[in-house]
Order: sequence, then structure tokens, then C-alpha cells
Amino acid sequence: MRLGKFCVVAAMTAAAVALAPSAHADVDTDFADELHGYGIYGQRDYNGWLAKITCRRLGNGLDSSTEKSAEFLSHNLPRGTSTAQTWQFLGTAINTYCDDLMPRLASVAEPNH
Amino acid sequence: MYRPRRARGTRQRRAFRAGIAILGGTIAATVFPATAAADATDDHPIPHRMIVTTCTAEQILSAARDYAPVYYERYIIDKHNKPPEVQQAAIDNAHYFYSLSPADRRAYSEEMVTNFADPMTASWPNWAKIFFNNKGIAAKETDHCADYPPDDQSVWD
Repeated sequence: MRLGKFCVVAAMTAAAVALAPSAHADVDTDFADELHGYGIYGQRDYNGWLAKITCRRLGNGLDSSTEKSAEFLSHNLPRGTSTAQTWQFLGTAINTYCDDLMPRLASVAEPNH
Repeated sequence: MYRPRRARGTRQRRAFRAGIAILGGTIAATVFPATAAADATDDHPIPHRMIVTTCTAEQILSAARDYAPVYYERYIIDKHNKPPEVQQAAIDNAHYFYSLSPADRRAYSEEMVTNFADPMTASWPNWAKIFFNNKGIAAKETDHCADYPPDDQSVWD
């Protein structure tokens, strides 16, 4: 009985260890997959790096607003990227790499009073 | 008995001289094309746009930060991995380069091709990568550099 319980716990532990990486796939891969859903392609490493740089610029104030972030991205995403895709990139970047800045993005959608 | 030995010695000397001549020709053929290939051109080793720009190093870096951000990021990370005195020497070298006239920059360019013993290059071979190494990056930088302040030192951080 005791041995059986031990075996179950051990199996669960092994499963948790083995499955954890696959459940939490590489964050850069998740980011790239989400971009593909918006029709945004390009080099995965480049896009990931660009997203992290965008987060840092917004966080340290180099880009004072998400509009500035979108402007920065518009210079660095491939030619032909639409305005909607630029904002989709920005939203996905913030959600993936710096979700503490999500309120900054949300404020754009709010009507001005 | 003695003369044939001298004759054989002469043949050996002739063969040796011929060998030296062939070897010398081979070395010359190897060395001279390399020298020709190392000549500076309009865009090598420094892109023409960097020769003629009126921007400062800080303006170039500001443009790189905004228009070639991944390239800029890699350069700054590379810089931060160098000892402080090497980082400062890179900044000083960049200031010096952009203080020169186009003619003097061209001369500097020629010097870069031939002087492999330059201490700056020896301590950080890629110190000028963000300025000189890539024509496409140089084009982006020089297209936009004039829009930035000339002495914002924070772009080195």
C-alpha cells in the first residue's frame, strides 16, 4: 500500500518535471506563434529582441507613450506591415514580455475625457 | 673521381636556385593580390556616407538606437563587456573620427586597412562596428542622424 502510494507520487513528480517544459514552451516561440496569427512573420530572434527592446524603451521612458512605441516599431518591422499589425505586435510584446505595462496599452483604448 | 662530384654539386645548386625562384614567385603571387584586395575603396572599410556625414558619433548612435535597434543593442552589450578604459578609448576614437574632415577620414580609412597593430583595434576589434561595418546600417544611421541632438552622451550607456 505504502509502496503503491510512493509509486504514484514518484510518477506524478516525474510527469511534472517532464511535462513542465512542454506546457511552458519557450516564451519566444509562443510570441512568434501569436505573431503568426496576425500574419506577422520574419526572424523569430529578431522579433523577440525587438519586442524586449520595445518593452524596455516604454518602461524607462525613452518612448513616453504607447503611440511612441508604435512609431518605433513602425520603423523596424518589415516594410508593408500595416498599422493594425504594428499595434498587434506591440500588444503581444507587452503581454508577453512586460505585462506590468499593460495599463499603458489599455489607456490608449479609453476615450479622452 | 673529384670532377663528377663537383658537377653533381653544380646541378644541385642549379636545382636549388630554381626551387628558390619558384618559391619566390609563388610567395609574390600570393602576397600581391592580397595587397591589392586590401586597398580602400569608396565604401571600404568605411562607407562613403560615414566619410561625408556632418553628424556626431552621438547622433549616429541615436539613429542606430531608433532605426537599427537590435544592431545597436548588440553593440552596446559588446561595449559593456569591455574594460572601462577600452570603452572610453572607443568613445574617444569615435569623437576623433567624426571631428576629421572628409579627406582626413579617407586617410584614416586607408590607415585602417593597413595598420593591424592599432591598439584600439587590438583591444576591441569591433569597436567601430556600429559606425563602419555595414553599409545598410550606415545608410539608416546617416538618413536620420541629423534629427538628434549632437552631444547626448547617454546613447553610449
